[in-house]
Amino acid sequence: MILAVLPLSRFVLGLLCRLSERTARLLAAVGWCISAALTIFLIVETRDGSTITVVLGGWSADLGIVLRFDAVSAAVCPLVLLLELAAILYVRRDAPRPLFYALLQFLLGAVFALLLSQDLFNEYVILELLTLVGFLLVGYDRRPTQVWASLKYLVLASIGMGFFLIGVAVVYRHTGTLNLGLLAEIVADRPDAPWVTLAATLLTAGVAVKAGLFGFSQWLPAAHSAAPPAVSALLSGLVIKMGIVVILRLSQVFPLGTTLQILGAATALLGVVYTAYARNLKRMLAFSTLSQIGYLVLGLAIGTPQALAGVLDYAIAHGLFKGLLFLAAGEASRAVGSGRFSDLVSKRAAIPNATVVALLVGTLGIVGLPPLAGFGAKAVLLGSHPNVFVVTILVLTSIGTAFSFARLLPLFRFRRTAPRPSKRIAAYAVLALPILFFVPLTGVTLPSLQLGSGLRPLLVVESVGAIAIGLLLHRLTERRAPRLPKRIFFLEEATLAILIGLLLVFLCLRV
Amino acid sequence: MAFSVGVVLFGIGLVAIAIRRDLVIKLLALGLTNAGSILCLVAVGDRPDARVPICAVCRDAIYADPLPQALVLSAIVINFAILALALVFVMRLVERYRSTDSRHIEDLVQRDLDEGGGP
Repeated sequence: MILAVLPLSRFVLGLLCRLSERTARLLAAVGWCISAALTIFLIVETRDGSTITVVLGGWSADLGIVLRFDAVSAAVCPLVLLLELAAILYVRRDAPRPLFYALLQFLLGAVFALLLSQDLFNEYVILELLTLVGFLLVGYDRRPTQVWASLKYLVLASIGMGFFLIGVAVVYRHTGTLNLGLLAEIVADRPDAPWVTLAATLLTAGVAVKAGLFGFSQWLPAAHSAAPPAVSALLSGLVIKMGIVVILRLSQVFPLGTTLQILGAATALLGVVYTAYARNLKRMLAFSTLSQIGYLVLGLAIGTPQALAGVLDYAIAHGLFKGLLFLAAGEASRAVGSGRFSDLVSKRAAIPNATVVALLVGTLGIVGLPPLAGFGAKAVLLGSHPNVFVVTILVLTSIGTAFSFARLLPLFRFRRTAPRPSKRIAAYAVLALPILFFVPLTGVTLPSLQLGSGLRPLLVVESVGAIAIGLLLHRLTERRAPRLPKRIFFLEEATLAILIGLLLVFLCLRV
Repeated sequence: MAFSVGVVLFGIGLVAIAIRRDLVIKLLALGLTNAGSILCLVAVGDRPDARVPICAVCRDAIYADPLPQALVLSAIVINFAILALALVFVMRLVERYRSTDSRHIEDLVQRDLDEGGGP
């Protein structure tokens, strides 16, 4: 019962938001409180590692829709609440229309629904709902650049969801069920049946479009950099992770190890190359999301329980610091009137110091400085003893990330004469405090794992070393910036890229 | 049979999105891919000599699996909403750029970004 209330309450509140602006703001607070209370209750109920399961409508599990609150939901729900709180506090100053709050409620309802869903078709519907709401939120200010970015998002995401739907059809034809748990048993019996490969290809490639994998999600840089700051924070911090959650669920059904390893490595490396040479702050943050998604997918490829815990921790940590970075970058760009690095540096005086502090905390988090969030989560992930290939990619990505974010260094100069105080400190604090005092949450929700062993001194050396090498490279190559191909982010090329990606996934699964 | 037709329709739509530059044609092609994937899902419920799954018609006879048909309803509604919203956004782009050519719009958007800097 409670499980159904968690997402549904948001949809009801979303409909009521249309009444007036004051009601909408009030309902945003009400919705947050309801979800927070339910989440705390559910986490306390399942703290011994158990799960809560409901089959809706009195059907049997193979026909009905199964909702389950498990370790994944328990880990991600608190992140949802934190990001929502930060977004609401952030936009309060802009006095958005009631429609914005309504869309926000729908978005969060869909996010909660996806975290609970154990049914393939249900996940399809929720992913489509996320696409629709995300599409409206990206284009919320109706600027032509935003409209174009969100249109590309919509077309490419629909193509991906088309593949996903055909995958659902294949699964249903051969098994007669869409329940992930039952499906896992059936696939485990016959893992090399031809239809398993076909279904796994279609489902993985379809959801990869939504999950931010390089080659599949070519809409991401434009959409995440064009959207309003609060929306970018929610999309990059949360909505992208929903694709990862679906890939996680799929990887527990289908044998995806090798495929995810290749896709994750490609995403991490290509993403970090584009991050290093982006000229605009928000665009750099969007590209950095791609590379960090590669990180998460590599973690999923390892597949052990500890790696899974690492993935969840890193997803949470990334949600926190990328959310904070997008919010602060949005305010900085607005104060300066441009998001280009050259303009930001030359007009540093126009940016409030609080905003710069927020950027600094986010940057230290993302480069993985001990003991902040990025490091804490990475330690859990690397503590799961991944193979050499994965470790190499992870270290290279860390170096690349430090190299990219070193370009923010000229901003971090503080003067006595504060230009103007930021009015959004509350929003920054909501995200900055968990980054500074990060505790791997899976240590609470998955007590059976011994996570303490992950924090070895070697990891500190690795982490600080990667940052140092990144900074050194930045010093050495400061003046050189190659022009990277832009055409792969056009609509036509992106469509072709999805097709090529689909073939690649198929080949990986066949081998 | 119907499943293969669905896949072919999906493929045609996909190729059209990839090579045609006119946004309205792209959206029509997107509609085609949607129709294709929906046809695939409906085809899955088919059984040899099956009748429509309505209780009054086929009390004891073989009837088609009703579940995919129920699923398809949601998919159709979603795809309709997506196409309608996409058309509205294309209208806004045409108002601003006086063009439905995706390459041309991409260039103009890039110019807007470069000039305005954009927050």
